[in-house]
Amino acid sequence: MSTRILTKADLAGLVADLLSAGTRVVAPARVDNPQVAAYRPIASFDEARLDGPLPPRSPKEFFLPPTEVLLRWQKKKDGIELQEVATEHPKQVILGARPCDVAAVEILDKVMGWDYRDELWFGRREATTIVSLACRGVDKSCFCTAVGSGPDAQKGADILLVPSDGDAYLAQILTPKGQALVEAHAQRFGEASGAEAAKSFREAATRKVASNLPIEATKLSGWLADNYEHELWKRLAMRCHGCGACAAVCPTCHCFDIVDEPEGIDRGVRRRNWDTCQAGKFTVHASGHNPRGTQNERFRQRVLHKFSIYPKRFGELLCTGCGRCARACPAGMDLPEILGQIAKLAGAGVPTGGTK
Amino acid sequence: MKELRQIAAKLLTDGAVKVVIGWEEGPRGARAAFVTRPEDAERLIFDARCVQNLATYLSPRRRHVVGLGKAAVVAKPCDAKAIAGLIRESQVKREDVVILGVRCGGVVREPTMPASLTAETVADRCGICETREPTLYDHLIGEPQPEPPRVTRREEQIAALMQKTPQERFAFWSQQLERCIRCHACREVCPMCFCEQCVADKTRPVWIESSSHPRANFAWQMTRVMHQAGRCVDCGECERACPVGIPLNLLTRYTAQSVEKRFGHKPSDDPSIAAPIGTFRSDDSQEFIR
Ligand code: SF4
Ligand code: SF4
Ligand code: SF4
Ligand code: SF4
Ligand code: SF4
Repeated sequence: MSTRILTKADLAGLVADLLSAGTRVVAPARVDNPQVAAYRPIASFDEARLDGPLPPRSPKEFFLPPTEVLLRWQKKKDGIELQEVATEHPKQVILGARPCDVAAVEILDKVMGWDYRDELWFGRREATTIVSLACRGVDKSCFCTAVGSGPDAQKGADILLVPSDGDAYLAQILTPKGQALVEAHAQRFGEASGAEAAKSFREAATRKVASNLPIEATKLSGWLADNYEHELWKRLAMRCHGCGACAAVCPTCHCFDIVDEPEGIDRGVRRRNWDTCQAGKFTVHASGHNPRGTQNERFRQRVLHKFSIYPKRFGELLCTGCGRCARACPAGMDLPEILGQIAKLAGAGVPTGGTK
Repeated sequence: MKELRQIAAKLLTDGAVKVVIGWEEGPRGARAAFVTRPEDAERLIFDARCVQNLATYLSPRRRHVVGLGKAAVVAKPCDAKAIAGLIRESQVKREDVVILGVRCGGVVREPTMPASLTAETVADRCGICETREPTLYDHLIGEPQPEPPRVTRREEQIAALMQKTPQERFAFWSQQLERCIRCHACREVCPMCFCEQCVADKTRPVWIESSSHPRANFAWQMTRVMHQAGRCVDCGECERACPVGIPLNLLTRYTAQSVEKRFGHKPSDDPSIAAPIGTFRSDDSQEFIR
């Protein structure tokens, strides 16, 4: 599809147009601590921090909220009355999200539409247009290039913005949804220019990230499937608390628990809440037996699900290399380091080496 | 550092312990190390980036660590308080752990920061910490340390909050706890949260709902903090782990201040002095309990 130019002033105007039309705009934005940004709905473009720090959490909560109501129930004389929730969602635009965050959304479409079509997920998906922003690479924990993606990847985006000359972005229009957004706000978009500057931005970012972890993580699944009992796993997660902070910030972790909560003597709510395989209780059987009895097994599950199980079933990794898990971990568990170790064992590419 | 490595290597060589839990250099700063071979004792480090409270790995619910066998653990004074807590509350036997006490001049806020301590970089808790060396140890390591930069920003924040009306305070905490996603990371990292069955995980019946909504989030955090009253060693791990950045140590610290004021109790690394929440005394000032 086509390419256009969008100046910062026009982007501000676009945001104003969207907001006044009642569309929710979610962007990385200031929070009370100036060192931190978070994806959140903004009330004006001034609040957005497109070139600010990486928000510690991904924007997955705008598709899969930490908690959401599935249904309500009420006891009646002649049985139980169920009240469904709306699966239609108000329009939203996710603006300036990182390529690793938006790639995750497309990856998750597979599991969300697999044996059962998750209406709540797809309801939000359909209501959302994603305008991503090419990233310059955050720090040593970024490894999107090692998972077959990159700081300028298009996957999952309807429009990809790439910083170009001066205060302008080159806008690559990637899907009919992206096209529709451009057409509806045609006066904001100009004729494409500044392709060279955008290209060098992309190249510099890719080089920077690629040196963090020069492996091909897509090639690890065979080794992982064959080495379930490998020595590596027996010591891998000694320092891991099972706190699940990694899963909370991860754009691709999507496990949830379903609970019924009373709202009175004769009525209640069924909700689904984020959950994680890193929690000890995640796999406890009714008998009391826990097939993943210690943190080492739980952490193996995390790695296997992302780099072997999901790729086997859906043909792609359940990790976009954003590095958020490593940044959030209070114990210093480091996925890129671990992938480097596995790559060394599996002989897939040259790892940068770990500390062990 | 040399002394620490030598002692660790000797303990492993002699078979006195099977694992030495200390700190090492990781890709994102200092982190916990589990050294099981004498030659690996070289990995051990200790500096102002050794933020994490390692006592948490002694808790019996960490079966993967317990499974390694008898442990030696490197302990700053605040870590030693947590070890004392585990001993006092019958989670660890004193003879089952070798404590490598380290003299401490404070730590930075995050292990990714450079090891230099200034008023800006020093962890809030160290800004008011009065213990330069533990009293509970088997070996005491390192040179005497200077006092960390004195900072009282957290105490001031608490005082400012207490100046507000209850309604304003409630509004503040409502706003903070609204972000809580009920991951319970604050519990999992805490050295003093060692219950095999947490009340928050009870399902028959449910005591604290696991969903994230105001009723449940308040119930969870109030329960956690109350269960830590007089037991919390102010290691700051809960706040550091919280993936949504809730200032949990304002709550834990205020609770500690209240326990100190009302009961004259401060958590120490003396295992024989129990927290008020875990004691019964026939001379209790409150009549209803006698
Ligand atoms: S890897 Fe880190 S963030 Fe994830 S559960 Fe373990 S300690 Fe928590
Ligand atoms: S596993 Fe870690 S690096 Fe991969 S997508 Fe999740 S948070 Fe990002
Ligand atoms: S609280 Fe005290 S003992 Fe603990 S790290 Fe800070 S200065 Fe050291
Ligand atoms: S409540 Fe927080 S500060 Fe207190 S001991 Fe537990 S983790 Fe440390
Ligand atoms: S760590 Fe933070 S988000 Fe998680 S349960 Fe505790 S307060 Fe809530």
